[in-house]
Amino acid sequence: MINKYVARSSVIIYSLLIIVPLWLALDRLIWVAGYDVIGWIESLERNYISQGVLEFTLIQATLSVVLTLALGIPIAWQLGRYKWPFQSLIKSLLTMPFVMPSIVAAMGFMTLIGENGLDIRSERDTWFATLIIAHAWFNLSLVIRFCEPVLSTLDPSMEEQLRLLPSGRTKLGRIRHLWVPLLMPSIAAAACMTFVFSFTSFALVELITLGEDTLESMMANVGSSAGIKGVMVSKNEVILGASLIQFSILLVSLWLMSWLQQRRQNLLPVASENVVKRNNITGWLIVLPALIFAILPLIAIMISSFRIRETNSTGSTQYWSTEGWEYAFTATKSLPSAWDALQNSLGYAIITLAIALPLGWMLAQTIRDLEQVKPRIARILDVFTMLPFAVSSVMIGLGVMLGMIKINPQFFYSFWLTPVIAHVMITTPFVVRIILPALRSLDPSYDECGQTLGMSKFKRFFLIKIPMLRGSIIISSIFILAMSMGEFGASWVVTRNSDWTTLPVIIDSIRAIPYNNPLIVPAANAVSTVLMMIALLLFISTEKFRPKRDGGMF
Amino acid sequence: MLICTKLEKSFDKELFSNFSLSLNPGEIVAITGPSGCGKTTLLRCICGLETLDSGQILLDDIDITSKPAEERGIGLIFQKPVLYPHLNVEKNLKLGSKDGDFAAALEEVNLSGFETRDVATLSGGEGQRLALARALLAKPSVLLLDEPFSSIDADLSEKLVRDVRSILKERNCPAILVTHNITIADSFADSVISLA
Repeated sequence: MINKYVARSSVIIYSLLIIVPLWLALDRLIWVAGYDVIGWIESLERNYISQGVLEFTLIQATLSVVLTLALGIPIAWQLGRYKWPFQSLIKSLLTMPFVMPSIVAAMGFMTLIGENGLDIRSERDTWFATLIIAHAWFNLSLVIRFCEPVLSTLDPSMEEQLRLLPSGRTKLGRIRHLWVPLLMPSIAAAACMTFVFSFTSFALVELITLGEDTLESMMANVGSSAGIKGVMVSKNEVILGASLIQFSILLVSLWLMSWLQQRRQNLLPVASENVVKRNNITGWLIVLPALIFAILPLIAIMISSFRIRETNSTGSTQYWSTEGWEYAFTATKSLPSAWDALQNSLGYAIITLAIALPLGWMLAQTIRDLEQVKPRIARILDVFTMLPFAVSSVMIGLGVMLGMIKINPQFFYSFWLTPVIAHVMITTPFVVRIILPALRSLDPSYDECGQTLGMSKFKRFFLIKIPMLRGSIIISSIFILAMSMGEFGASWVVTRNSDWTTLPVIIDSIRAIPYNNPLIVPAANAVSTVLMMIALLLFISTEKFRPKRDGGMF
Repeated sequence: MLICTKLEKSFDKELFSNFSLSLNPGEIVAITGPSGCGKTTLLRCICGLETLDSGQILLDDIDITSKPAEERGIGLIFQKPVLYPHLNVEKNLKLGSKDGDFAAALEEVNLSGFETRDVATLSGGEGQRLALARALLAKPSVLLLDEPFSSIDADLSEKLVRDVRSILKERNCPAILVTHNITIADSFADSVISLA
């Protein structure tokens, strides 16, 4: 049990962090646009929906879900049901895209379809298909993480029994009567998450499409001129209308996901993976292309960072050089050095970790304690901690920016730590989602036994609880660091009017330089490579601490 | 000396009421009764893991009724041995006492040489012996045993019952055992109380 004062303060701090910036932002937007919900939607309709923004957002998100499932389910099946050499490496490579910063994914696909790759970017059909494929690449690991643990550890006697019954004699019968009902909650939960991430996708839409907007990218672009009384009032209305629609759609998706997750089969008879899995050589036909698909955009980024275009009278040629790296890591008058961005990103990540980890832990512990005495309040707090999932990162960035401008504009522009507020808002819910299941699975008798041995609360916390939850703590920490370093949407909104920058934002800033400079693409890819390597290192270190049947949340 | 007076506890139904018991130094009492009659809850109330609805518990003339579990000085052996998997045998023992004689404690429960063993490799019987050694290292004023022999097969259980009883008697440590097994209760305890 957590001290009630600690529990209350964690809830108050979190509420302030979540509600205050969003409240201040809404207050400022409403102050400019007036309180007229119908008017906001009408303005959004007039300016954007009529131009197909909502339609485009929904269509691309839906198609992304369809493609992600179509690619992900066969891969999860192969990984879950069969034995593979270097199994954990294969699994790591296939699930790695999810922890890649979205801007790295965008740069990877841009390189593949750009002039250093297939050179087909200028065609409209190409970028739309690329966007959907990039979303599938990004979210593939969700399907694998949700489905593979169920497939790999289900007691084989369940399938063996069905084979001896009339309805399970055929493969199709077993799929229909065993695997579909068993996997459906996991598949549906993965589909919901993919929909949420594709619906709010920002970096991929911003970089890959040729000016096409989703609700998210539209809000980010319009946001810079919002919040000023009497200036471009319609933009404030548009943001209010768009965030209202987005919030409603995301809330329904998240509620659906939460409901599905509760139904997931956590108490199925479990067996060792070695008992379940068999060899399957033909499976390579699926696993090998999947591996190439997973690593190709990342290899493309790395190679492209060393390829420099040279144009002369006879045409255009390319040569190998480190000039792109030198350009990225040298400050110019208009652009800070990538070193500065790296230092900022590391600083933000470490401070975010120092705040989000204890805060997330205290919230998770409070929910766990309440579950035993006041389950209804626990459920409300549980949903409340997921609230930032229903608010896109761009909206969080806008909230922090407009909120702080309302308090003190000068402070906002000069306060180096501003992005940390957004990063804490974004990462804390992930900490709760990782720590809470671990707390739930911790047998209370460990603590009770400590009590009967005369150990104080303090001793029990440090000698029993922390060591026993070490894996979840490390995974949460690494997740916070990776998410903070790769966060683009909120940072882009918060930092673009300030003197500081982060690695993802500087990639976008380098890209914004006119393309006649041959070092632009290699320099942007050089910074992307650095970000990719950091994410990769962090990801590999989490795998060691992941429980065998983690339910696949993150 | 442990004196329990008019203990009362109910959840959805009344588990026990008006339960009184006095336990002298070195005395071993067994409480028997069918499943669900409140035996485990009674032990949890005595050691402070659950709160009583009413009643009073005195330990060596000190009222411990509202003291937290960690301050009561009462040990508990759970039905299944609670061993911390992130610590080896010796480090598990250290939770009972930082500077005890661990070799002697292990020898007393027939686990000599087990200091560096991973607790995951211990059998059910070995786990219970280790839990007992750890509980005794904490020098409890009273030791409570919540069906500790039920998860062990019959042959081993018989030997463990004899061993644990003789250890407790040697140390003059009072103990309360709850069990649904009358044979074990008879062979382990000096007296048997039925909580039906």
